[in-house]
Amino acid sequence: MAYVPATTLNILRFSKLSRLMSMYPSHFAEPNLNKITDRKSASHIPVKAATNDLSDSIFYGELKNKLIKYITKKGNRNLAKELLNETFETIKRTQIERLNLNKGDKTSVIINSEQLLINAIENSRPLLQLSAIKRGGVKYQVPVPVTEKKSYFLAMKWLLDAAREKDRKVHLPEKLAWEILDAACGQGRVVKKKDDLHRQCESNRAYAHYRWS
Amino acid sequence: MKMFRKQFGNLSRVSTHLSRNVLAARVAYRDVEMSTNAAPAEDVTSPPAVNEFRTGVTNPGDHSDVQVGKFYTIPLEEKKQIFSGGGLTKKYEQQIKTFTEACIMVRSPALELLHYIKNADLSKPVVRYVLYGDNGVGKTLSMAHVLHYGALNDFLLVHVPWAPNWMKRPKESANSATQEGFIDLPFDAAAWLIHFKTQNSKLLERLQLKTSKEYVWSKRESTPAGASLIELVEHGIARIKYASETTAALISELKQLATAGQCKIMVAIDGYNAFFHPVTRIFSDNKQRVTPDRITLTQPFLDITNYDWTNGVCILSVDKIAMTEGYMDSYLPRYLLGKEGFEHLDPFVPVHVGNYTEKEFVSYINYYLDRNWITKTQPGFEEQLKFMSNMNPYTLMQLVRSL
Repeated sequence: MAYVPATTLNILRFSKLSRLMSMYPSHFAEPNLNKITDRKSASHIPVKAATNDLSDSIFYGELKNKLIKYITKKGNRNLAKELLNETFETIKRTQIERLNLNKGDKTSVIINSEQLLINAIENSRPLLQLSAIKRGGVKYQVPVPVTEKKSYFLAMKWLLDAAREKDRKVHLPEKLAWEILDAACGQGRVVKKKDDLHRQCESNRAYAHYRWS
Repeated sequence: MKMFRKQFGNLSRVSTHLSRNVLAARVAYRDVEMSTNAAPAEDVTSPPAVNEFRTGVTNPGDHSDVQVGKFYTIPLEEKKQIFSGGGLTKKYEQQIKTFTEACIMVRSPALELLHYIKNADLSKPVVRYVLYGDNGVGKTLSMAHVLHYGALNDFLLVHVPWAPNWMKRPKESANSATQEGFIDLPFDAAAWLIHFKTQNSKLLERLQLKTSKEYVWSKRESTPAGASLIELVEHGIARIKYASETTAALISELKQLATAGQCKIMVAIDGYNAFFHPVTRIFSDNKQRVTPDRITLTQPFLDITNYDWTNGVCILSVDKIAMTEGYMDSYLPRYLLGKEGFEHLDPFVPVHVGNYTEKEFVSYINYYLDRNWITKTQPGFEEQLKFMSNMNPYTLMQLVRSL
């Protein structure tokens, strides 16, 4: 099975502009997980305080962390972590079974579940969105570009929504694992949803100018 | 090869010359094959490759300190025979399925037990060995290792995969017909009989063991004296109502036969302390919780762990999670068995099962890498795993699953 390669691997590069109400002035640097090599020059750059979920352990992943936050309900983060771990386990199990079927051909099957999650999210990120804008008493569905941050949010939300829409008997990690595996190879409901949205935006391209006029 | 070594750093430093020898041997083998063109193709069930974390010795009787920390493979047939009714943990079964091989690590507690059993004088009263240790430390798997030895060395296995199942979640409970105020667990007893039959059917056929007296189940049904034990077991499976009594009869028969020297028996009971728990989750007719000694299944297994018979070994494990909340403060046998249980077993040989040693830990990580189970291999990941799991096998398994 061939996977669509992720467009960028360095994900979640949110806009570097400081927020309006940020407590840090704009020259403060983001906290860095990598080991600082040049201590002398680094000592002169003020750094923002690290958030308490940042860590340099092997269990940490930026996107993973974000997804855990979206899974969380009622602040029960431990449960959310547990669910994502189970998801990853299921993904790994199915991929290893596939690998065994392929007689150990490692090039065709990705086992790294975090990599698969990244691929899935990259594949289900939308570029455009429809927003209702009122012109002359009529509401038009106008295609509007989506910021990078929002596109990641939407991709993860759609994945989760698809996973939550299931039988009561199916466990969330199982369904989420299947959605991620599907999306990672460019199939499944989430990718279809993105494509549908793009198609609608395409058909409403005549209204695009309402965005500014 | 060079790249590989660089990637995994200090892990695969251990024995380079060993693997190189294997490679050389393989090359030589291929040369022979090419030159003669008549050598047979390698069959599928060829012994697995030997390297720093694997051993080709599949007979647990031959394991010694040389194999400590290495994995040996249980052949599929034997695994099916011994463990199809339980005996490996659920998580481990899953792992076996994913890794497509049943591998168990040779560890010192199991070796210690095997050493005792091999050197035991079977004509003396049975010795009781008690495995104890903290949660998730490998008591059940150590027992599985010894069970494999028993199955290969003509021991009749009397194996209870997880005794607390009977006290905590029985399939059905009914009042005993023969003993007043006692409770039968017919389905669980029948399930155990099936387990006994699958484990021992070959050996039973070979030994031709006979019952010593007649068992009358009801007006019309009875098992005559001199019937084979297989008949007795099959009756219990077919007539679930009498399964509990059949179990009791079977075990007393086995004890007599072993004492008479017709067979040798390996008793293995996991979660033995459940038999001495203050209460069970089974309710009697007057809505009172029943104590374990009021269950008909308890008696035969307490009976067979007594020391009044010979030609056998008893391997018991005491486990914190066999108890219920409020009774799980310590993993030591005296605490878990209570006064009554301790006196019942006294004198016994305690065998402590502990966390992984450094060598075992490294070997396990190597095994996981070999099976593609760990995909994140940043430098220093073993150190992190070691620190977070405290080298506890179960915790390591849980940590590694999402990597």
